[in-house]
Amino acid sequence: MLGGAAVALWMRNARIVSGLILLTFVTGHLSNLMLGLHSLAAMEAARPYLMGPWHSTPGIVLLAGAAIVHILLGIYALASRRSLVVTKTDVVQLLLGFVTPPLLIGHAFAMHIAGEVTPKFDATFGQVLAIYWSFAPSYAIQQVCVVMVVWMHAAIGLYSWLVLKPVWRRVGGLVLPLLFAIPILALLGFAEAGKEVIAKLAAEPDWRAYVTANLGKVAKATREFDALQARLLAGYGVLVLAAIAFLAWRILSTRLQRVTVAYDGGLSAKGRRGLSVLELSLLNHVPHAHVCSGRGRCGTCRVRVEAGAERLSPAEEAERKTLERVGAAAGERLACQARVLGAGVAVTRLLPAFADASAARAPGEWTGQNAAAGAGE
Amino acid sequence: MSDQGMAGWWMGVLAGAKARIEALALDLAQAPQETAQILESTRASLMSGTGVRGFTYLMILLFVGIAVEWLYWTYAYSSLRAVQSALPESPAQALRLGLRRLVLQGSGALLFTAAILGVSAAFAWPEGMHAFVIQLALLVLALRASWIVLWIVLAPGRAQRQLVPADPARTRSLAIVAMAALALLALGHFVPAILQGAAGAKHAGAMLRFAAFSLATLVLFVAAFIYFGRPRAPAGAAAPQGRADVRGPLFPRSFLLAVLVVAVYAVWVMHPAGAALAAVVAVVIALEIGLRDIVYFYWREDDQPEAALGALPAIVLSLARFVVALGGIGAAAVALDTSLEALAEGDPLARAALRLLGVAVLALLAHGVWIAVRSLVDQRLARISPATPQEPPGPKSRLLTLLPLLRVTTGVLLLVLLVLSSLWALGIEITPLLAGAGVVGLAIGFGAQTLVRDIVSGVFYLIDDAFRIGEYIQSGTYKGTVESFSLRSVKLRHHRGPLYTIPYGVLGAVQNLSRDWVIDKLTVGITYNSDIDKARKLVKKVGQALAADPELGRHFLEPLKMQGVEQFGDFAVQIRMKMKTQPGEQFVIRRKALAMIKKAFDENGIKFAFPTVQLAGGAEAEAGAAAAAARQVLAREPAPPG
Repeated sequence: MLGGAAVALWMRNARIVSGLILLTFVTGHLSNLMLGLHSLAAMEAARPYLMGPWHSTPGIVLLAGAAIVHILLGIYALASRRSLVVTKTDVVQLLLGFVTPPLLIGHAFAMHIAGEVTPKFDATFGQVLAIYWSFAPSYAIQQVCVVMVVWMHAAIGLYSWLVLKPVWRRVGGLVLPLLFAIPILALLGFAEAGKEVIAKLAAEPDWRAYVTANLGKVAKATREFDALQARLLAGYGVLVLAAIAFLAWRILSTRLQRVTVAYDGGLSAKGRRGLSVLELSLLNHVPHAHVCSGRGRCGTCRVRVEAGAERLSPAEEAERKTLERVGAAAGERLACQARVLGAGVAVTRLLPAFADASAARAPGEWTGQNAAAGAGE
Repeated sequence: MSDQGMAGWWMGVLAGAKARIEALALDLAQAPQETAQILESTRASLMSGTGVRGFTYLMILLFVGIAVEWLYWTYAYSSLRAVQSALPESPAQALRLGLRRLVLQGSGALLFTAAILGVSAAFAWPEGMHAFVIQLALLVLALRASWIVLWIVLAPGRAQRQLVPADPARTRSLAIVAMAALALLALGHFVPAILQGAAGAKHAGAMLRFAAFSLATLVLFVAAFIYFGRPRAPAGAAAPQGRADVRGPLFPRSFLLAVLVVAVYAVWVMHPAGAALAAVVAVVIALEIGLRDIVYFYWREDDQPEAALGALPAIVLSLARFVVALGGIGAAAVALDTSLEALAEGDPLARAALRLLGVAVLALLAHGVWIAVRSLVDQRLARISPATPQEPPGPKSRLLTLLPLLRVTTGVLLLVLLVLSSLWALGIEITPLLAGAGVVGLAIGFGAQTLVRDIVSGVFYLIDDAFRIGEYIQSGTYKGTVESFSLRSVKLRHHRGPLYTIPYGVLGAVQNLSRDWVIDKLTVGITYNSDIDKARKLVKKVGQALAADPELGRHFLEPLKMQGVEQFGDFAVQIRMKMKTQPGEQFVIRRKALAMIKKAFDENGIKFAFPTVQLAGGAEAEAGAAAAAARQVLAREPAPPG
């Protein structure tokens, strides 16, 4: 059991770390695009520094490894869900996450594998932008969509992770504007560079011929990596479908086993056995704080178990750490982690339902407030 | 309008409708071909440098919109959570929470749109793209606004938060159906404009609009029967049954709503320019129908008859009707694309209509005030009226007199004001009327001086609370129980039967014998050889016995007591007794008390004194002297009371 708990904690960290690696790469890439606001030459000049490291062998290994780990963990997270109770932001992030690989795989292949299949392929920004803006606009539209999809996925993930940390008070004012300045400026750079490329194609027939020739080389290689790409995508699709099927099976197989949880204030919630207390709250519209939407990070959903503690799933490593961090007393649990395994569970919600991220950053303030409110009643 | 003109007008309408339907048929015929063209040209224009640029700008705008809204929610989200997690205890509280939610969520949607529209001006858009983006942003705003409003009003799955009366089990499906209809209407409004503007596809746009509006009509038509057809659910029906005056609708609502939907659709098909107006009228009618239920929904918790609810629901209802009507007029003006000022300066017919509108507004206002006053008065009256006629009127009986007076006066005043201001609003000069009324008033005032004096002093008697119905009063030579009073006079019933009608003007000082308490004193003469202390004790006992009497006891404020010896009379010791009772009860008590004292004194050897003559001498002289002494005593004795 302890082993499982350790794995869960490790997975959580791995998801964050791999996500951060991917975010670093994307930020570098978009920063490079931003320079298009100045000129195509500036983009080229900055490319070795912003993109270069990722083209080295360790860079590629790190990047590909992070991508694979992140995708697999995402699929695993989907499969291990117990219900479809999620916040709207979570749905958006989940969907964006799952459409990313199919949208992005073409671009990744074209940039990394094309260079190896066609030895003299020269993946400069000028080349690629020329192809996008003039020869294959559908790819450009796809890439613009990818920026939106990937960046929103990353922004939601980064924000909901960072906002819970005390450091957010200091960096929040900087990170939030950056979170949107980067993609906006990158897309503006993309548009400006596009104008420049189109003008250059019209003005310099030599360059145009050179680009066309290169494009021909890539086109020849296309068929080879199209097959590989299709196979990878099929594998990914199977994994995602399996995760969904697993989730559906889990929901359907437990749908007849009902449990009820009693709350303070005379409220109660009914639902499938095995759901967490928080999921039952949300299913039954019981007001319940959940800043991190059930990831066990923020501690705002914590409850004092009044009865039936033995019919809740035991606390795991991650939950214990969070409880310790927020200074929880004995007999308190995280509602998002404590799954209800039997009848007769009664809990008291400890934070007001409108608790926000500040409750996670400074747990003392909110519980103090709560205690004062309780004493006043 | 002559028959000829009427027929001509109808022919014109029918011809217009025919042309319109033919145009629709042409649209339908042309649309498939045009749609294919649009698709092709869209693909072609998108798959080019300019297309990519436009698309990139669109994505940038999306980022900007999301960024602004995200920033907004970092501040507003905990407020929203607080609103969402509060559990309202009454519909009124739910309304307050709903309004707060509307402001919070609406601001988010508005900021998103405003940011997109504002920033969109900064880009050099490809040909026709900017208009497309603006229409798209407006479409998104319309959809989001519909969503926000519907979910706040119907609150699917959270019955406590509903803002309108509806079966909680069906709010979710109702919200979805309504959202579908609104989305179709929004699509039908915006998308054809986009198509027409961006691609110049007239027929395809018209066909799309036709399809969307027809589908929306169908959805609304079916929904009218599904959601408004059946009698209300048992849970909801329990409350109206408690209300005494619950009325069945004159017309099945579902049928009426369906007719409205179809009528608007028919107007749109035949004469699109009038459709917006027809829609506004239909919405106003539908709202006016449902408004009563909606307003009373907020007072459903008090499971009381309607009269006890007070004036508030009635006032709110008439205000709400007023607001809906005004909103409808405003929306109609917007729909007709004309300002009210322009109407006022326009043709005489429009001017007359506008003036009639002014009169309607005045009438609504007067109606609101009248309902407020009337229901306040009725409510007060219902509260203070004695439950049974036998029961003596309480201290509130003054209000019982004044309130109906107030009601009538207010009614007359309001009516006069309404008539005068309506005449003024219609443009009829009322100054001569007022001046004439002034002169006539003066004349009547001189003639009816006494009447005025009576009325004014009557009001002051009432304000002074000099007497109330049921009280025994005396004023000058008039005395009796107050039976009733009017604006001019008071009616007194003398205890022997005659009824006085006294104008207030001559009433003068009033002695009220029925207020608070009375003190009654009794004097009894006992012989000089009686034991005074014993007599005191006996009187005290009698007083206790009377106070314990089941019938009379409750009228005592202070029991009967002997105060002491009042006087040494010629042949008796005069002892004085006193008691404090409720007004009007002293007579009965006094009779009983005297009887009991007699009995008690007799049993205990205390003798009542009566004139005795002690004689010394012969029998003859005795008789004559006794007679003389008796005459002497009798002459001194005061006349028996009464």
